[in-house]
Amino acid sequence: MTIKTNVTKKWIDQLVEKILFFMALLSASFIVMVVIVIIERGLSPFFSDNDGLGQVNLFRFLTGIVYLDGPTFASNAYGIGYLIISTLYIALLSLLIAMPISIFSALFIAKIAPKPLGNTLRTVTEILAAIPSIVYGLFGAGVILDLVYNLSLIVGVQSSAGFSVLSTVIVLAIMIIPTMTVIAEVAIRAVQKELIHGSLALGATPTQTNFKVVLASAKSGIFTAAILGVGRALGEATAVSLVAGSRRSGISFALFETTATLTSTMLQGMKETVGLDYTIRFSIGLVLMVIILLVNFILNFVKSKVGRVHV
Amino acid sequence: MKKVFDTQNLSLFYGKNQALKNINLSIFEKSVTALIGPSGCGKSTFLRTLNRMNDLIPDVSIQGGVWFGDISIYDKKTDVIDIRKRIGMVFQKPNPFPMSIYDNVAYGPRCQRSYSKKEMDALVKDALVKSALYEEVKDRLQRSALELSGGQQQRLCIARALAMNPEVLLMDEPTSALDPIATAKIEELIVELKKNYTIVIVTHSMQQAARISDQTAFFLLGDLIEVEETKTFFATPKDPRSESYITGRFG
Amino acid sequence: MSKFSFRYVIDALLQGITFLFSSISFLTLGAILVFVFNQGWSLINIDLIRYPYESTTILGAPLEDQNEFCLCEPNITLDPEVFYSNKWGVGFSQGQDLLGLATVQLAYIHPNSPLSSLTNKGIEGNEFVLLPEYLIQKISYNDRSTSLARRGVERMINELESSNSIYEIEVITKGGGIGGSIITTLWLIGLTLIIAIPIGVGAALYLNEYAKHSQFANAIRSFIETLTGVPSIIFGLLGVAIFIPLTVATTNATGGNLISGALTLSVILLPIVIRTTEESLKVVPMDYRNASLALGASRTQTTFKVVVPNALPGILAAVLLGIGRIVGESAALIFAIGAIVRDEITLTDKSTSLAVHIYSMMTDEPANIELSSTIAIIILAIVLVLNLLIKFISSKIMKGKLGGVI
Repeated sequence: MTIKTNVTKKWIDQLVEKILFFMALLSASFIVMVVIVIIERGLSPFFSDNDGLGQVNLFRFLTGIVYLDGPTFASNAYGIGYLIISTLYIALLSLLIAMPISIFSALFIAKIAPKPLGNTLRTVTEILAAIPSIVYGLFGAGVILDLVYNLSLIVGVQSSAGFSVLSTVIVLAIMIIPTMTVIAEVAIRAVQKELIHGSLALGATPTQTNFKVVLASAKSGIFTAAILGVGRALGEATAVSLVAGSRRSGISFALFETTATLTSTMLQGMKETVGLDYTIRFSIGLVLMVIILLVNFILNFVKSKVGRVHV
Repeated sequence: MKKVFDTQNLSLFYGKNQALKNINLSIFEKSVTALIGPSGCGKSTFLRTLNRMNDLIPDVSIQGGVWFGDISIYDKKTDVIDIRKRIGMVFQKPNPFPMSIYDNVAYGPRCQRSYSKKEMDALVKDALVKSALYEEVKDRLQRSALELSGGQQQRLCIARALAMNPEVLLMDEPTSALDPIATAKIEELIVELKKNYTIVIVTHSMQQAARISDQTAFFLLGDLIEVEETKTFFATPKDPRSESYITGRFG
Repeated sequence: MSKFSFRYVIDALLQGITFLFSSISFLTLGAILVFVFNQGWSLINIDLIRYPYESTTILGAPLEDQNEFCLCEPNITLDPEVFYSNKWGVGFSQGQDLLGLATVQLAYIHPNSPLSSLTNKGIEGNEFVLLPEYLIQKISYNDRSTSLARRGVERMINELESSNSIYEIEVITKGGGIGGSIITTLWLIGLTLIIAIPIGVGAALYLNEYAKHSQFANAIRSFIETLTGVPSIIFGLLGVAIFIPLTVATTNATGGNLISGALTLSVILLPIVIRTTEESLKVVPMDYRNASLALGASRTQTTFKVVVPNALPGILAAVLLGIGRIVGESAALIFAIGAIVRDEITLTDKSTSLAVHIYSMMTDEPANIELSSTIAIIILAIVLVLNLLIKFISSKIMKGKLGGVI
């Protein structure tokens, strides 16, 4: 098809622009769709009769420490308060373990390792970051559960075959370390060499320079890495469900207790579920989204303050 | 006059490229030596050999010797950190650390040992006074160093170097990134500092060299063409190439 | 002097910790690889595709027109423990099930054996093939009493050899095949890319070529960016709420299906595709566009004949990233399709992708770690290849910054 006249060209231009605009609009609308759907379905158990089971009590839902009081499919007494706390607790622990390991690894790759080794390690880390979470879950179920179980025997604490807070935290930490390392490494590499030279010229050792100047200068990037890491830890579902233990009540802080997170509970029993038990997962998803948004907001706020570069 | 630095047949290679050719230059105590010459002549490279900052550049090799007092700098047994403690360096572009003004100045000393708050306060104030910055920042020592103007940042870098109580101050084109007023302030500072410190300054500006230095060394393509007392150098240069450079036939 | 060495001690300590922590991350990769290969390597062979997932019991009858005996020698060397029947051309070996009872396994079947194809008595008229490693439970004859596997392989072979007419054979097929999941994964990749790449590239084109700095474009961009922070399980919920009803209403689907899965994956992929494509569009120099317009070409011609070809490496990278994401996605698909493993794949019915297959097996009792590890090996190999390809393309894009394809 040869486009000959200017008029036709213009007409086609306008048409194409409209089509592309529509595609952009469509892409953006998905977030709106997600929000609407989650809110609508997520709120419905609190405002509808739920096929005769009665409205779910919102307050109890948010603060309850028992997942379901009563038989499944016959009760509306859902409570996920304990899950909220467990989820945040586990994500925090994972971050605490993963953050130092990521920062040191990034420092090693960017500044300490000789170039060829550094490049290889960087590629290895990038590949690790691309491994799907189900594989980490498999590794967790196959190896970490046994390790934790043996550890619990040595320490003398009760544990149900290794399903525990500790297993979940380890698996999540292993999962988020590569992603955080990649981002932190980029930030560290970007530190201007004038700053490094300045520090060395003052008589500081390379190690002192790395820890006092380089890390301080890369603060902002390292913070971004932490935000992304915590986001992934909060949202991870399949890996957690294979090592956590699907706890149905009570907050679990002890390392060897079984536990559950918002996401693992959403997945649990998916194979045969209907009615309120099914819809309540949307409510859990809604709570999860709110928590993620809040955490992101708080962390970004802290980041902008830290970025002020005070200490 | 006592010699602080003495180089003997110093040559430096970037890979196969020879950047310094048999330099024999003496730096004298408590004076200002200016290194001048066109771009790429080796003056900055020479400066960096004095505190072994060239070690940070890959593929660099050195022949000949550099003596700092009675220590051979490039000897294998020499502790490079020790050398750098005694020699301060100020760079072309001000490079304060992303920390507070106070922490910038305190950085060098803190790397060596711990100080009580009183000791450190006094040390920081002293360094800032010596670099003519104290009055301007005394009320905001805890604020970020990056909030300062270019000229102030450079004086902060000088204070940072002085906090180590060095014997020598190496300055690599310290005013080329600054406006004329800031430049003038720093030149004033240098004239004041030379009473207590030995200063070697690389400069692109002959006028600056003429204004503030006692001794001028002219570099060209890696060779040291002429080194002379500044007044004599600019009035009656001995080498025809020096004269061409001074009169601006090339630059 | 002690102050002196104290500094060096701290230095050494920090360096030591750096080495230690760095090695932790790399050791875990090693551990994961070792584990996965250890568990799953033994199952890697063509059987993964040949066999169905579930093992089923089939009653088979010899084909109507098969009258001739084999009377053949095996055309490979058989293990000493295999008992072979010349008449029928089959070799059996002894096995043992989980309860310790004797089983009989088909070790070898000659191509000319009259038993190589049997009629499936359960599904009228269907033929099925006897494959090695199937278990022979029981053989009923027309001319003698039945052979039972429980009585041992040697006895069964002798009874078989002594008979001339078989009535039916009870066979237990071997399971553990993942062909269905492989096909599902391939379908998902194809469908999702067909949906996500055009829309994503189109959106990126609009944002970068037509509306670059408008407030509207920035708003759209920030909306799309927020999608990246959403965990994939939420997209699964979206799939359940919108895409499953959509497909149920418009096709003959009755629940989760591949199409709803592909639609869900498309939404997950869109931000990645858009961002990667926009990056590669930015790299195309403005001069190219200006030159094209100055020659009298329309905007559309400029976009599609000049800009897009130059941005192809980036679009290719987006495709590869997308494939990686699809292969690895589990949580969203558990909601948007389901977690039921199938061997026969239809677009309008449930099945599992490779990743979901692992989840399904790991949540069974007992969990099948061996086969899960085998699938994990496959997934890791795919991820590795994709990643190396993407690195290769990215380095070419970097060179492109100084050169340019056209």
